[in-house]
Amino acid sequence: MAFGKEFTKGFWDLLPPFRLVLGLCPTLAVTTSAENGLGMGLAVTFVLVCANCIISLIRKVIPSKVRVAAFIVIAASFVVITELVMKAYFYSLSTLLGIFIPLIVVNCIILGRAEAFASKRGVIDSFADGLGIGLGFTISLTVLGCIREVLGYGAIFGHNIMWESFRPFSFMVKPPGAFVCLGLLLALINFISMRQKAR
Amino acid sequence: MREILRLVVVLSIICAVAGFSLALVHKVTKAQIDYQQVKFVKEPAVKRVLTGYDNDPIKDRKELEIGKDKYGRPQFLLVFPAKKEGKTFALAMETYGKGYHGDEGVMVGIDVESGKLTGIGITSHSETPGIGAKAVEPSFTDQFKDIAIQEDVKKKSDGGKIEALSGATLTTNGVLSAVNSALKYYKELKDKLIS
Repeated sequence: MAFGKEFTKGFWDLLPPFRLVLGLCPTLAVTTSAENGLGMGLAVTFVLVCANCIISLIRKVIPSKVRVAAFIVIAASFVVITELVMKAYFYSLSTLLGIFIPLIVVNCIILGRAEAFASKRGVIDSFADGLGIGLGFTISLTVLGCIREVLGYGAIFGHNIMWESFRPFSFMVKPPGAFVCLGLLLALINFISMRQKAR
Repeated sequence: MREILRLVVVLSIICAVAGFSLALVHKVTKAQIDYQQVKFVKEPAVKRVLTGYDNDPIKDRKELEIGKDKYGRPQFLLVFPAKKEGKTFALAMETYGKGYHGDEGVMVGIDVESGKLTGIGITSHSETPGIGAKAVEPSFTDQFKDIAIQEDVKKKSDGGKIEALSGATLTTNGVLSAVNSALKYYKELKDKLIS
């Protein structure tokens, strides 16, 4: 099953922030809470899936000399659409994510997948690839957001879950906490994959 | 030569399609985005001065043209009606007065039936912290509750009821001029506002 393979690779082999180590700017900046991470991840997923499909559809028409310009125009259009829709229906989320929504345009994941995959493969494969990588990114951001929110605020998706005397480490929701948390997760994932290889 | 032409045409078509679809999305979402922005910025102040309504004052808001600024651009007055069973019983409108540092925005609530102020809320200002900025505190704004609107609202030193903020006469004057211009618009445009 080609579709299944292209879809599932985004969850482990090509897990964006940890395996490809791409898209780190939003990964570090907006994961102060699980909700922000989820919102950002879904926005990226939408842009990635749409851009992948369109690029794959017109890949034979785009001359290779101007392909990057064409990819950026297509990705930027979907980013603006996402931004407008988010402002119209999820206003508070859009104020939280702020400048990082327009910055999806320069997210390397999108250009990377367009260049490496969608410009060479069919629509169905590109759709699966975009969805898989996008959801992998969403899950990574949500997990990172959960860890930072639980330790930094003692809450998850805004609900208190820790015991009463719990003293939150406010360090975790500040920028250094993002680096520490990302580094530890990266180490964990590398450790697991090394164990797998050794076997 | 032919290759360059092809590059130009393909890229132009892609950009044109992108531009067209963005214009379409913009048109569809514009009203909703305006609503969200007004709601986010103004709703807290509207809620402070209006109570007991069963409509959505943000959705029912009206924009009335009230003249032009010095560049000839039209200026608008934002009015939020509070309705109960379809009948407007109070209004909130945002007006501006000149304070010590630039304009102060004031949300003025007016009870249509009793002809009294329901209260005011400061929506924006850049007054001195600790002195003029005290204008946002309830101890100052609560004085405006239940004041009759037949005459202009005045400070105590001018024979009115409002205790001026000490050390911030200009701030107080700015708030009063905003309130009084709201009353002026209300009296002029009453029929348009309530219908």
